[in-house]
Amino acid sequence: MSLASSGLTSDSSGQPAVASRRPFSAVSGPAESAPEATPAVVLRGVTKTYPNGKSALRDVSLTIPTGDFVFLVGPSGAGKSTLIRLLIREELATRGKVLLDGRDLARLNRRDVPNIRRRIGTVFQDFKLLPNKSVRDNVAFALEVTGTPRDRIGPAVDRVLRVVGLAAQADQRPSELSGGEQQRTAIARALVHDPNLFIADEPTGNLDPLISWEIIQLLLRINEMGVTVLMATHNAEVVTALRKRVVGLDDGRVVRDETGAAYHRED
Amino acid sequence: MLAFVGFSLKRAWQGFWRNSLMSLAATASMVLMLVLLSGLLILLSGLDATLKYVESEVEVVAYLKDSATAQDVTLLTDDLRAMPQVESVTYVSKDQALKNFQERQPEVASLVQALPSNPLPASFEISLRDPSDYIDVATYLRAQSAVDSVQDIKQTVDQMITVINVLRTGGIAVLAIVGLTVLFIIVNTIRLAVVARAEEIEIMRLVGASDAFIRWPFVLEGALVGLFGAVITTCLLLLVQAPLTSLMAGFFNVLPIQASAIVGQNVALIVFATGIGIGVLGSYLSVRSYLSR
Repeated sequence: MSLASSGLTSDSSGQPAVASRRPFSAVSGPAESAPEATPAVVLRGVTKTYPNGKSALRDVSLTIPTGDFVFLVGPSGAGKSTLIRLLIREELATRGKVLLDGRDLARLNRRDVPNIRRRIGTVFQDFKLLPNKSVRDNVAFALEVTGTPRDRIGPAVDRVLRVVGLAAQADQRPSELSGGEQQRTAIARALVHDPNLFIADEPTGNLDPLISWEIIQLLLRINEMGVTVLMATHNAEVVTALRKRVVGLDDGRVVRDETGAAYHRED
Repeated sequence: MLAFVGFSLKRAWQGFWRNSLMSLAATASMVLMLVLLSGLLILLSGLDATLKYVESEVEVVAYLKDSATAQDVTLLTDDLRAMPQVESVTYVSKDQALKNFQERQPEVASLVQALPSNPLPASFEISLRDPSDYIDVATYLRAQSAVDSVQDIKQTVDQMITVINVLRTGGIAVLAIVGLTVLFIIVNTIRLAVVARAEEIEIMRLVGASDAFIRWPFVLEGALVGLFGAVITTCLLLLVQAPLTSLMAGFFNVLPIQASAIVGQNVALIVFATGIGIGVLGSYLSVRSYLSR
């Protein structure tokens, strides 16, 4: 599987466009991140107990430095989705602290929540695209609903569509696209706000292995742009092959946190 | 800000037509309520104007017996003028009464001329400084032998006030019930619109849309139902205005009111304010309960 066939390098104008809108990417990349910099994500003793008494997370502590690429693995029901819902502040921790770029999510004003979410790009297994809108309109929607002036929407959308290699499919509807193209549309939408943190919840869960690799390559590219990436996955092959940091959850606890290890699917 | 307003208006418009059957049903019930409201308003304002007119004209009218002499008339006039409650006294002779009648009702004038004698009695028209002094003056007049009868305008006024109060209370009660029903229909219409857009709302929250961007299109969609309802109601009122005015003029033919333009303006204003108000309230309640989850 080469980069060229994934569509990433087929559009040469994508790379400079990205570089110009992220002037700090060179200093905030994974290798250069300074140790004293504020980590992108910090969880301190986080417990999440639902009203029915079920504990989804138990005393989880985790630090993700800015620019890191982290796999979140574990069997179904281990707490991966709960962790992600806490990070995008869909839910609040029962105990403990969740910090994004040093900001305590529990102390956030209700009106500041949208601002935090604009700094997080999120993609899911089911893509969450609007079926009646074209690729371009799906991506533009994220800017429209956050009050971006009309004249700035078009150029921003074109830029991210080039990054994900969908410039040619801009006018097609999701139903006319392959699964991989749909997920790339979702990724473009998640990127259009220029996020600091990119969260992918089982992004390849609905895709065949070949297409899955395309998506992974794209996430790696995004990470190279300086964006912190957290990817929850069951895909053992990908995790093992990439030798990135792996955080394993089981029954709501962190059971492993290591870099470069293999992963065997246990569920 | 401009982007927000444009976005909200566009989405409200799309939302209205997306489920057009439901929106039009809500608009129709809104029209029903507004027609009831404006009907009641017009009826009450007509009755109020009548009442005011009658009240302003509160005067004691005493009809004299045909046997009353010129001396009786002079004595009574002097006595009445001496009363502190009385502002002015006018004596209307039998001839004058006939002339007045013929002027007011020219179509039956010839009929009256055919009568062998003048059937109309002579009368005193006494205007009072204060309408509440009516009883004093009426009691005095009834005791006079030359006086045949005293017209009881007070009783007429009291009856009118009772009728107006019953109409007002009943009308407000009916309106409240219809208004609540319309509110309920709008809450449901917008709830359906919200549910139909649940996917979009989820995405909007994910990408960091503020609550205002999620809420306002729906609130405006409710306002649109109210606005359309008010426009249709106003058109209906304009259509029936001409026949209604002549009907009212025939009904209250004694009234010198030229108030229909002002009444119309006020009614239109109230219709628009009520329609849009209920539309906004209903959709706001609907969206608020959904978003606060």
